[in-house]
Amino acid sequence: MSIKHRILDGCDVETFILCKDVDEGKTLGLRLMAELGFEDADVVFCEMGGPGVRIRLRGYVYRPSADYQWYDQEV
Amino acid sequence: MEQGRSKGITPRKVVLAPLDPVHDVGLKLIRRKLLERGHEVTLLPPDLSMEEIVARAKAMDPDFIMISRALSYGISELLAKFVDLCDAAGLREKAKLVAGGLSMKPVIAQELGFDAGFGPDTPVEAAVAYVEGQELDLSTGSRRREKADLTAGFTYKFLDSEIGYLCTTIAQQLIDWANKHTSSGVERARLRIEMESERDSNPGLYSTLRNDYASLTSGEVKEWYLTGKHVSHTRPITEKEAGYIRSLLKNADSIVIPRSQDILNDRNVFVQYGTGCPVMDAYHINLSVAWGARGVVHFDPSWGARNEGLLEQAWSHEHDGTVLTLDNLRLIKGGLIPGILWQVRAHRGLNTPETVVLAHLSGADLTKINIVYGSLGAGTDPERLTVDGVEAMRLAAQHNLPYDVVTNEELCGVPAAKAFAGMLIVATAGVLQGGRPLLQPLFANSPEGMVTGYTEHNFIDFNVAKMRVLSSIIDAPIWPGAPVGFLTQTQDRCQSSVMTALHAALALDSGATAVTIASSDEAYAGGPITAPARVDTLKATAAALRFFGEGGISPTPEAERIETELREGILEVLKKVAARGDFVASLYEGHLGDKEDGAYPGRSGKGTVTLKH
Repeated sequence: MSIKHRILDGCDVETFILCKDVDEGKTLGLRLMAELGFEDADVVFCEMGGPGVRIRLRGYVYRPSADYQWYDQEV
Repeated sequence: MEQGRSKGITPRKVVLAPLDPVHDVGLKLIRRKLLERGHEVTLLPPDLSMEEIVARAKAMDPDFIMISRALSYGISELLAKFVDLCDAAGLREKAKLVAGGLSMKPVIAQELGFDAGFGPDTPVEAAVAYVEGQELDLSTGSRRREKADLTAGFTYKFLDSEIGYLCTTIAQQLIDWANKHTSSGVERARLRIEMESERDSNPGLYSTLRNDYASLTSGEVKEWYLTGKHVSHTRPITEKEAGYIRSLLKNADSIVIPRSQDILNDRNVFVQYGTGCPVMDAYHINLSVAWGARGVVHFDPSWGARNEGLLEQAWSHEHDGTVLTLDNLRLIKGGLIPGILWQVRAHRGLNTPETVVLAHLSGADLTKINIVYGSLGAGTDPERLTVDGVEAMRLAAQHNLPYDVVTNEELCGVPAAKAFAGMLIVATAGVLQGGRPLLQPLFANSPEGMVTGYTEHNFIDFNVAKMRVLSSIIDAPIWPGAPVGFLTQTQDRCQSSVMTALHAALALDSGATAVTIASSDEAYAGGPITAPARVDTLKATAAALRFFGEGGISPTPEAERIETELREGILEVLKKVAARGDFVASLYEGHLGDKEDGAYPGRSGKGTVTLKH
């Protein structure tokens, strides 16, 4: 079982992505979340400054009312 | 060196040595604590080479050698060399080696041959405990297990007699009017009390009462009572999910409490929950309490305010707001850690009196009622909410439930003076019925604040003026919210946490009895609030309180001018409402907030008030 299932609700990834503007930063950010295996991802915050964006991405593992599997299996 | 003696402690000989040119503050703190407890301590100067430190230590024959290092550059090599030198000098036969400081990682220190390593977050007490051979659980702080009484010591006497007279006159008129009227909301509250008293003992009567109740419901709620069809986006809670909540309470005594948040123990900081799912709520509550929240506020779905009637049984809801049912509330109550204050809101909507009943039956400590906000900013018909609100306040007094009187109509654009006049009228009506209301001014960059310029230069003056004017009018508890910092937070979690923390610190510094804070997700609308976002603002609030301490926050002279304007504005509004002689008419006619302000009399429940027989 993936350790991801032990996450209570969402997993935020906060980083700095080199890009030309905010739109590209958001696009790259969401691609990063897809690469990390987060199917339900969103950009919480994104601001351009200097060579790229400070970006905070969120992958929801469990939204409220989901079928939680926190303790179903050993991780 | 002056030394003390602590009873039952074996004095130890300790050498402290900084490995940096200047950074020895941590060692000085340790020295002071060790000396207080009777140990023999020598703090070496910061300009010695490692060879000199070892030579001096050897001459003193210590039990412990504690070194500190703030700079991280080359630390592994330095520490390894120090251990080698101590070995070569024969110091290790007796002395234990300890490394600490900003750059230290305990695991690395031990890998390099030290007996112990203390990282940057280690309290001085940990070093002292180590010297004395005791174990100190660094992860465990403390949380009070007794609940705070937020209204204790307040007399509810008006300090401003002119405003007091007007509030009392208007409040008595609205109570007298409401007492001649009733609504399906009032009737359902009465039925709910009877149903719950008969549920187990008299199933036949319960069934009859339930049918009566169902006849007074509407929309999807009515459909559920009649056909069992689930309300949109809801599903029953499973036994497995209920088990998650029970396990939280079962483990409540062993919950890990971060010591870093102990400063919040002396403050009544509330957080709001209402993810939609009671299980997720229970976890969010649990972790919020661990990180220092002393109270939690239940948020229900907005559709709950527009439908006549409340569901039964336990439900999970896929969207914001956790469904208000007695079973859901009891489930959540089942996971609450002892000592936590629990508020169930009844401030708006068509089920206000019954919500107070459910709050009482489920063991809540507080509720929330405001006729004016619910009427002008939350969509309920003023006439209906006046009848229901007065009944809700009567029930709250009967069941000993204090309630805040919220003023979030300011977010619509209603000026604070009008919102405060409404709050004071409702609070007075509560007191006249034997209740214990708490005033809830909004701490926010409200539309009024922006338009008038009150918040142009800082966010301190307007909020301090609000606290001062309310404190000068009536001796009642003030609980800013809800939550503080509205319209000042952005989606950036650093900015959001700082804004929340500073507003919370300002509220508490200004004499607030309690404060409700947001998560760092406050300005993010793309999904549910996450657990780390809750921790963010609790951590930030603790840090802000630590920063300001007893130092306080000073407003500019502008606060005094705003306070004066607020008092004049409140007085003017109250005079208009009193002259009108009809509180409900004043709500419709905009004396407490009109369309130009951004307030609209709600339409839910319009035409449903009847005269009592």
